[in-house]
Amino acid sequence: MPSLLVVIFVVELVVQLINTIGAATINSLIWRLYLALPTPLAGQFADQRKKQKEYLVVRHELNATSSQDEFAKWAKLRRQHDKLLDELEKKKSSLEAYRTKFDRYLTATRLISTRGVQWVLPWWYGKQPMFWLPYGWFPYYVEWFASFPRAPLGSVSIVVWQWACTAVLALVMEAALGVMGLITASRQAQRQKQPVPAAGAGAGKGGESKKNL
Amino acid sequence: MSAALINVDDPDAMEPTLQSILDQRSLRWIFVGGKGGVGKTTTSCSLAIQLAKVRRSVLLISTDPAHNLSDAFSQKFGKEARLIDGFDNLSAMEIDPNGSIQDLLAGQGEADSGMGDMGGMGGMMQDLAFAIPGIDEAMSFAEVLKQVKSLSYETIIFDTAPTGHTLRFLQFPSVLEKALAKVSQLSNQYGPLLNGFLGSNGTLPNGQNLGEMMEKLEALRATISEVNTQFKDERLTTFVCVCIPEFLSLYETERMIQELASYGIDTHTIVVNQLLFPKPGSDCEQCTARRRMQKKYLDQIEELYDEFNVVKMPLLVEEVRGKERLEKFSEMLVKPFVPPS
Repeated sequence: MPSLLVVIFVVELVVQLINTIGAATINSLIWRLYLALPTPLAGQFADQRKKQKEYLVVRHELNATSSQDEFAKWAKLRRQHDKLLDELEKKKSSLEAYRTKFDRYLTATRLISTRGVQWVLPWWYGKQPMFWLPYGWFPYYVEWFASFPRAPLGSVSIVVWQWACTAVLALVMEAALGVMGLITASRQAQRQKQPVPAAGAGAGKGGESKKNL
Repeated sequence: MSAALINVDDPDAMEPTLQSILDQRSLRWIFVGGKGGVGKTTTSCSLAIQLAKVRRSVLLISTDPAHNLSDAFSQKFGKEARLIDGFDNLSAMEIDPNGSIQDLLAGQGEADSGMGDMGGMGGMMQDLAFAIPGIDEAMSFAEVLKQVKSLSYETIIFDTAPTGHTLRFLQFPSVLEKALAKVSQLSNQYGPLLNGFLGSNGTLPNGQNLGEMMEKLEALRATISEVNTQFKDERLTTFVCVCIPEFLSLYETERMIQELASYGIDTHTIVVNQLLFPKPGSDCEQCTARRRMQKKYLDQIEELYDEFNVVKMPLLVEEVRGKERLEKFSEMLVKPFVPPS
């Protein structure tokens, strides 16, 4: 088993990543990956898409057929149209039920493997020191705080280690996001500036200086 | 003979007559339906006359609120089955879909007249009953079936009200089931609250009992669902569609046939009414133009409904009323009309 220090760090990292990317995005990504596997469910979805295409063709044809001039053809198309639509609707609800179920499982797994671990590990290893502080380097109240709540005095407790990881990761994430936001914003500004040919040299300079900022 | 003549080139084609209905002895319920003004009543009367020749006893029932049976036979019919003059095995009756529910509610009112006008909930049963779509038709059918069961007619022909109205009651059991589920859910949720108002035995202010009311609705649902199973049996029931060769009528007919198929009700006959056959050499401009249009839609019907008995009936120069004219007209249901050449 890898060191508890690393495990805690990884769990916190995963939680931070999920928070930043968004649970729904991750769910739909995994769902798409799951559908790419050759399972019977994926086959059903492929069928559904095929049927949808078929339906669109029939609908297009139906709209192009005059009901008054070619009633028989129109009525036959209409029957086909109604049948396909009915099938699509019926299938759609069952497929959506699959999706909901899948999402529910995924959410449950995610919660257990992140939030669950986040709670269970500190409770389980509460009395174990993560590592020892050098003796005599820190005043009593710092040592007391580092060993909060149950670890022996003079050591760093798992809870404090968790806090530290969270704080650092949050800072790093925020910084990364800020940098990324800056980059995209400047790119957008550039793109907005470019298609205006009437903009003078002064404006161009202004844009450059802004970018340098 | 003429049937043979027409079918001589295509032995597989469906006969253009209603002979199959006459031959199918197991048929007990026959519906005649279509858009208003296409000749449903004339067709159903004619069919009844033809059936009366081959069956022990036939009953013709009109559920159309605008009763035309009396007009067609020039004889007054009412809520009781009555023999039609000149026949000894053909009876007719007219029922009003709105009437029977009114009767039922009136009966309800009398039964608890003692407390009938107490409180604002007197009309609750009424409101509830009217809120369910198709309940009026369903009730009248239930009523009719109760009567008809005791009367032992071999075949019963329904002259139905124009399209949409007829079929609504066939959804009735499922609709009522949903409604009942809603009501019982409500009464479960607000039952304690209601009981607080109503007293311990759940009596409504007008003397009705909530449970009793639910029981009545449940009984009604059971009756109607029994009717439904009968109507969905193709050995027992068939639906005759009447239309005229015009776009809207055709459109309605197609819709009706699809709807019937979704309810699981058998239909394999279409009567195309009011066909024009101008005499050769006729210089009536309107007639020939109309004839051409009818021909167009007739071709479409033949193409679309190749698994149906498509019966073609001509437009006559006189109104089809009275026993003799109906009998003459009804001949054409079994022996295809040969246009004058």
